[in-house]
Parts: sequence; structure tokens; C-alpha cells
Amino acid sequence: MTTAALILDTFREAFARKIFWGLFGLSTVMILFFLFLLRIDLVEGGMATLSLFGRTAESMTDVDRVVRGVYGGIATFLYTWGMFLAVFASAGLIPSVLEPGRIGLLLSKPISRTHILLGRYAGNVLVVSCNIIYLVLGVWIILGIKTRIWSPTFLISIATTIFIFAVLLSVVVLVGVLFESAALATMVTVALMIISPILAQTAIMLRLLSSEWSRQLWRTLYYSLPKVYDVGRMTLDAIQSHTFSGYMPIWTSAVFAVVMMGAALFVFSRRDF
Amino acid sequence: MHSEYAIETAGLTKIYRSRWMRREIKAVNDISLRVSRGTIFGLLGPNGAGKTTFVKMLLSAVHPTAGNALIFGHNAQEPAARRAVGYLPENHRFPTYFTGAGMLDFYAALSGVESARRKKLIPELLELVGLPQWGAVRLGKYSKGMLQRLGLAQALIHSPSLLVLDEPTDGVDPVGRRQIRDILTRFEEQGVTVFINSHLLAEVETFCREVAILDKGKVALSGTMAELTAGKGYRLTVAKAPDNLVEDLRARATSLSARDGLIDLQFASRELVNEAVDLARAQHCDIEALIPTTSTLEDVFVRTVQK
Repeated sequence: MTTAALILDTFREAFARKIFWGLFGLSTVMILFFLFLLRIDLVEGGMATLSLFGRTAESMTDVDRVVRGVYGGIATFLYTWGMFLAVFASAGLIPSVLEPGRIGLLLSKPISRTHILLGRYAGNVLVVSCNIIYLVLGVWIILGIKTRIWSPTFLISIATTIFIFAVLLSVVVLVGVLFESAALATMVTVALMIISPILAQTAIMLRLLSSEWSRQLWRTLYYSLPKVYDVGRMTLDAIQSHTFSGYMPIWTSAVFAVVMMGAALFVFSRRDF
Repeated sequence: MHSEYAIETAGLTKIYRSRWMRREIKAVNDISLRVSRGTIFGLLGPNGAGKTTFVKMLLSAVHPTAGNALIFGHNAQEPAARRAVGYLPENHRFPTYFTGAGMLDFYAALSGVESARRKKLIPELLELVGLPQWGAVRLGKYSKGMLQRLGLAQALIHSPSLLVLDEPTDGVDPVGRRQIRDILTRFEEQGVTVFINSHLLAEVETFCREVAILDKGKVALSGTMAELTAGKGYRLTVAKAPDNLVEDLRARATSLSARDGLIDLQFASRELVNEAVDLARAQHCDIEALIPTTSTLEDVFVRTVQK
């Protein structure tokens, strides 16, 4: 009951701050974009041509490739701009609950501090999850109906995008609890997103770096920080070529999130308000 | 665990240390206090005396540096101890996206009140605090006094055994204050312990049964209201008193002050004031006034914090 109340409160605040509706509106625009931009000519019940972004596919193999390309494009969009938007939108939801006059009353209730913070975190993840599910499912259904190619691998992007958002949100929570600053939380999280594709070039960098300690430092950073780029690449490969390169980016990112949340809970449990 | 005290603290201390300067501020210094079940207890003190920090330690918003606090015999740091507590903080900031009823529903859910019971209680409590028409209105439209009354409803919604109220009538008009006092009196009659942190001395004096005065983080004085305000005496005001008479009167009085050619003298007993009147009349001095006095809580407070 208390967990549900905390999650509902996060939704209420997301509605009131127009965060939920902002993300929902952008997702709807994206869905409408595919609904009207994708033109398909049907001849005697079969698909003759498909055109999108000025490209025309005439054989079924071409259509399949175009559809997979579209799915890959959406997954990439979600990974970059969608994630940026979600982080920007959510960053304020953690410090707001720590405001004087609000946190004191919450702490006076018969619930633990861990419960309060995890409830808020879960609510935040759910707000963004609703929008990701709406967008991905919406696009998948529109493309499926129009092309009659149903590619379930695209739905993997729901899980991976929510997962990476949950990982990044753990950083927002820790910075929010430490400094009560939404701006700083956003900056740190976006920095991690930007550094991720650079760190992912490990094989090249290990060859280029001359000293052992610098190679070791690079490896440490790569393995300890969240692998936003790698997980995105994994999703794209799964959608476009049905290949899978291993779970390492997933579990190392999960460990990172657990450590961040653990640190956030530790700091939150010891702070005076 | 059963305890005869609603609140019991032993050596409760809070020291704030600045992170870089290594400076220490002792906000609360070794407070041992007991609040009996079913009483109305007032916590007083000048600004910075440590009242709010003390209250926050009772509710685990602030961690004690030393000592401990018990609520009905349970460690105040444990969430279960707070199940029996209703709290109205000072300078509360209820999220403005709530409606009045929505806010009560949220905090009641956090206090473990079942959904069906919440639906029944919310209209009753809105009625109790005089806001029956305001349940569906967003808090952004509420006045400060209305928010205070809604905050009181929030503190009452899970039928607590202990009410901790930080400046409960702050921003409330006189009619609202009376209403809040009546509500609290009704709850006291039901056996609820009320712990009030306030700087409104007159209000505490008319309402509280027991009082503690904090000063510089310590309990400077505590006791029942009757004990603390028991100091009786007589105030004599004389005019045209010559210097030698003033000196004679000063020797018998507990206090002396001069204003506009008049001298006010406070005497502890009838005998002493009678002697003073005799002396004044013998020197043809005019008596302006002679009135019996009782010691107000304000007198006690001022004497205590100015020591």
C-alpha cells in the first residue's frame, strides 16, 4: 500500500509538472510520423511497393530490410534523444521530494527511508517506462499492420531502453540525494552517456595507449561505468541482424546501478533533514 | 512494550559539525525529558534554542549524536514507533498538485490506513477542520490558515496516540485558532497526548498542562503549568517618591522600575507591601495603584532565558 502510494505520488507530480504529458506528446508525434509518412501500395492483397524517406522497396526482401532499418532507427532515436529527454524530465523528481517542509513530513510516517527512496525511484522508472512502451508498441503495431512484417526483436528495445534508463536514474538519485540539484544530476548523467561511446572503443584504445597504467585505467573506466553505447549497439544488432554479442554490458551496467543505488540509500539513511 | 510515557528522552544530544571548518554547534545538549501519556505538553524556547531539532530527533528526521528517544517505549528511530505519531511540521510544504482530499489520502496511505477507511475518514476530517467544501480543490488555492488546518487533519487521519505539532496556529486567524484549540482539547479528552512546539506563550499558557523551556540546547526549566505560574505578589505604584524612600522600598521589593515620574515595585508578600505602603504614606508620597499579581508564563519565560 505504501509503495503504491509513493509510486502514485511520483505519477501525480510527473503529471503536474507536465513531464508525463510532454514525453507522451513526443511519443505520439513520433507514432503519427510513421502513421502518415510510411506509404504502402497494396496490389491484389500483396505488397507491391513500400516507400519511406524517399526510398522505395519493391521486393519482399527489400521491404524486410527497410522495416528492420526503421526499427533500428527508432531504437537508436530512443537511445539518444529519448534517453536525454527522459533524464532531463526526471532529474527534478528526486530533489523535489527532499525539499524542507516536505521530506520532514514523509520521514515522520511509519516507513523506512529505504522504502521512500526506492518508491520514488520505482515511480520514476514507471513514468518513463509507460512512455517507452507506448512509443515502441505504437510504432511496432503501425509498421506491422502496414507492412505485415512483424518483427518481435524490435520489442527488445523496450526492455533495453528501460534498463539503461533505470541505470542512469540511479546516478540521478545519488547526485540528487548528495547535492539536491537537478541540474547537477542531469549534467553528471549526460556526461556518462557522452563518455560511453568513447570508452566503448576499448580494443582500439588499448592498442594506441603506450603505458600499462593508462591501459589499466581505460579498462577500469570501461568496465565500471554504465555501457549505454554497448547496450544500444546490442539492441541494434538484435533488431537488424538477429545477432547477440553477450551479456557483459548488461550485467556490468546492472552492478553499476546497484552500487549507485546502494550509495544513494546509504547517504539518504544518514542525512539529517 | 508498554510505557507510562508518551515521550522519553535520555541524554539526547545533537552536534552539527561543519564539513570543512571543523566547527561544532551543539543544537541540543543532553536533554532528558519525560512527557506523560494523555497530557498536553508545551515546548518553549527562544529562537535557536534547539526546539525544532529536538522535535526532528523524535521523528527521526535528524539523527542524535548521543542519547536516545523513546515513543511509547519504542526507539524513535524505528519506523514502527512512528505509527502512533501524527505530526504537523512548521513551514510545511505540501505539494500543490494535491487536492485537499488527495493530500489526506496520500499521507493516510503512508500511515497504513486502509483504502475503505480512508474514504470514510477524509470527509469527516475535512468537516472537523472546517474545510468540508474544499476537498476537491488544489492546495495552490488554499490560504495559509487553511493549509494549517488541513495539515492538522493530515496529522489526525490515522488516529494517533501522540500528536506532535510545530507552531500549530501559525498563520491561522483567531476563529481558526479557537477551532484548533477545541479540536485538540477534544482529542486530549480521548487520551491523546499533545506535544506542542510554539513561541506563542499566551496560547501555551491557556492550553498546556506541562511545559519545558529550552535555552541554548538545554532544558532550562520544566514542570506543570500550575507550578511554573504559581509565583504570586503585589505591584505597588507610587509617585513623587524621595530618594531615601526609594532606597527603603528597593530593600523590600523584588523588582523596581521607573517611568514618567512613577515607580513600580513588585513585592512577594502582603506583609512586605503593607510595610511599603506605610513607609510611603509616612513620607506623604502618593499611592497611584496597588494590585495583586500572578506570575505569567511570559514572566517565567523571560526570567528563565535571561538568566
